[in-house]
Amino acid sequence: MIYLDHAAATPVCRKALEAMKPYYMEEFFNPSSPYLPAKKVASDYEAAKAEIAHAIGAKGNDLVITAGATEANNLAFTALSLDGSCRRLLPQDFANANILGVPLRRHHPSMLYLETEHDSVRRVAEALGGTTIKVLPSGVIDLQDLRDKITDEIEMISVSLVNNELGTIQPLAEIAEIIRRVKLDRMKRGLKRQLLLHSDASQALNLLDISVARIGVDLLTLNSAKIYGPKGVGALYMSHEAHLHPLVTGGGQENGLRSGTENVPGVIGFATAATETKKHLKSNRKKYQKLKKILLTELQGYELVNKKHSIDNFVVLCYNGIDAERLIFLLEERGVYVATGAACAASKGEKSHVLSAIGLSDAQIAGSLRLSLGELNDAEQMHEAARVINEVVALERKRVNG
Amino acid sequence: MAKTVYVGMSGGVDSSVAALLLLEQGYKVVGVYMKNWSEDLPGMKCPWAEDLADAKRVAVKLGIDFEVWDFEKEYREKVVEYMLREFRAGNTPNPDIMCNQEIKFKLFYEKAMAAGADFITTGHYARVLWAGPAGLSSPKILQSKHFGGPPRGPSPAHVCLARAIDENKDQTYFLYRISEEALRHTIFPIGEMCKPEVKKLAKERGLHNAYKKESMGVCFVGQVGMKDFLKKYIDVRPGEIREVESDKVLGYHEGAVFYTIGQRHGLYLNGMKGEVNDGMPYYVVAKDTKQNIVYVSKNLNDKRIWVRELKLRDMVFRAGPAELSSPKTLQSKHSGGSPPSPSFTYTNLSVRLRHRAPLIPAELDGNTLKFAQEIKRPASGQSAVFYLDEVCLGGGIII
Repeated sequence: MIYLDHAAATPVCRKALEAMKPYYMEEFFNPSSPYLPAKKVASDYEAAKAEIAHAIGAKGNDLVITAGATEANNLAFTALSLDGSCRRLLPQDFANANILGVPLRRHHPSMLYLETEHDSVRRVAEALGGTTIKVLPSGVIDLQDLRDKITDEIEMISVSLVNNELGTIQPLAEIAEIIRRVKLDRMKRGLKRQLLLHSDASQALNLLDISVARIGVDLLTLNSAKIYGPKGVGALYMSHEAHLHPLVTGGGQENGLRSGTENVPGVIGFATAATETKKHLKSNRKKYQKLKKILLTELQGYELVNKKHSIDNFVVLCYNGIDAERLIFLLEERGVYVATGAACAASKGEKSHVLSAIGLSDAQIAGSLRLSLGELNDAEQMHEAARVINEVVALERKRVNG
Repeated sequence: MAKTVYVGMSGGVDSSVAALLLLEQGYKVVGVYMKNWSEDLPGMKCPWAEDLADAKRVAVKLGIDFEVWDFEKEYREKVVEYMLREFRAGNTPNPDIMCNQEIKFKLFYEKAMAAGADFITTGHYARVLWAGPAGLSSPKILQSKHFGGPPRGPSPAHVCLARAIDENKDQTYFLYRISEEALRHTIFPIGEMCKPEVKKLAKERGLHNAYKKESMGVCFVGQVGMKDFLKKYIDVRPGEIREVESDKVLGYHEGAVFYTIGQRHGLYLNGMKGEVNDGMPYYVVAKDTKQNIVYVSKNLNDKRIWVRELKLRDMVFRAGPAELSSPKTLQSKHSGGSPPSPSFTYTNLSVRLRHRAPLIPAELDGNTLKFAQEIKRPASGQSAVFYLDEVCLGGGIII
């Protein structure tokens, strides 16, 4: 097997798995229980949270643990106020907007989001009446478009740190600087309205050295499943400026922002994975640069889609005139697993909004393959993958041209 | 030059093997997934995206072209609307029969022919036979190079729809209304095979869906989902369930349209112990859709359940074997449309009243089907399909 889809899922690293094990059958106690063994679990949990927070230069208390990045992204939007009034968004507002598809009645759009965001941001933002910020053909945010669209009503801006289809790294520090100026201007004019920066960093933690202070975000989404931790765990970092409202209420865990008995093993695994990935940040980057080079040298007849500003483990290829989904099935038969963002059965026939946004034609979108490298890969695999991909592309070209 | 055939590929094993066989026979094969329905329903996810992926995966494996044809709008208009109309009228329609008549063997057929097809193919268990002066002939699939279309030689008279070799899987009940024109250009490769052979072949050729669970009944909701489906589209009111003999109210129902004559399950009667729940089941024997009343009975011999005759409407007559069309026994030298003459009789028919139900001897007099013995009455809206030996002669919808 040659697995080239680490952006979709990563295997749990051995250290994380080992760290999680005791919390299933021995240290299974509910952290809220009063007796000492349970208190030990509670303190292990808090320590793990602090460890995750440490990976982004924050404190454990700044994090809300969620059941994955999607929930964290949803939770981030509760920082919006309703219609500029004092009333905060309530869970029922989300339910109405998300489930029933009833847009919240707002006189003005109060939020901006990048047009290439993941669906877990896009769907909520759409439902809440947000406005999109354009990207340049490189996939990088159009900062001028951002400047033009930050009106006085805007309360929140959501821009992912690394795009999940292209691997494009967004210049968050520059965005934060623009936001700082706007805030300053608002203060000068006596306008009291929050302006928060949210970023979905799901794809970023394993290769980028993230510090919330340096990138200047108020809200940051983290995902365990993409960094060799267990699935079903995520976290939302929040600065002291962001005031969230729970989407899940109950026993009041996570400072009342996310009720439900803590996923202790999940968080322990997440923390271990975060520390591990942070440790190997530099060497991993070098490794992926090397592997990427092998692919780009040995592959034939492609056009590189993510040429610039891309994270080191993403390779997006375009084979013009070819249906990339057919390539996926041909590759799968040969034990090579890759992804596509193109119109395909797996994505219910919707073509990729990301590839459309950077100006690819329908034919180019249909011919695009995403390879995302990871721990499971080595140089030998890259040679073999390039050979197999070249072979199936030739096969398809032959079929198409008769 | 190789003939071109468009195969309706559902993602299931039957249509996959159909495509495989045609390809091995030397046809130019194009796979098409017909996207007829994609909406999820309460409690069930519509599997279309997975089915499409399965179909495409097979097409890629076979190295054939593959397209998705979107018939959602037409399916809704021609099949779903028909179905809802029938249910509202108190009938129990069969959407699969309508789907074959209006979508697969009409829209798909027409679009395929316009795209340059010589033939269309589906994974149905049925056969196409050609009736000529020399009798019935079957272009043998697994032996000859070209098995589609009329056999060569003296001009064959007409095309017949015949039951599959695998009696257990035969699907002609769902196909009796398809047009002769489409049938002339149809190949049913699977009709010459038994299901285990089909599965074995799929497995041998490494088709991943060899073990895929097949869809049953109404293609998009299944038996269980029908009630939920109808609730979404038909405005129903709760009403009374009455015992037909006494007119006593025994319970209440969610809407008369949900009930079918002969139905035994899903009746929630709230009568007194011993009076209702004496171990003998109640059956639905009649519905009054206007008053919204469902009538039940414990009498298994109720004359509304057991009948000797059925009246039919919207009858379709298919071509039969030429040598059998002598005036006394059978007049069938025409295809589709109206009966041969106002007063005609088919004396020695076999009739099927449900998919896979046993064949029952009957005669047809005008629009009345007469049986030698009493039969359990099928619901109105269902079809009665006629056969003479292996050939399907048409059918009609039970009034």
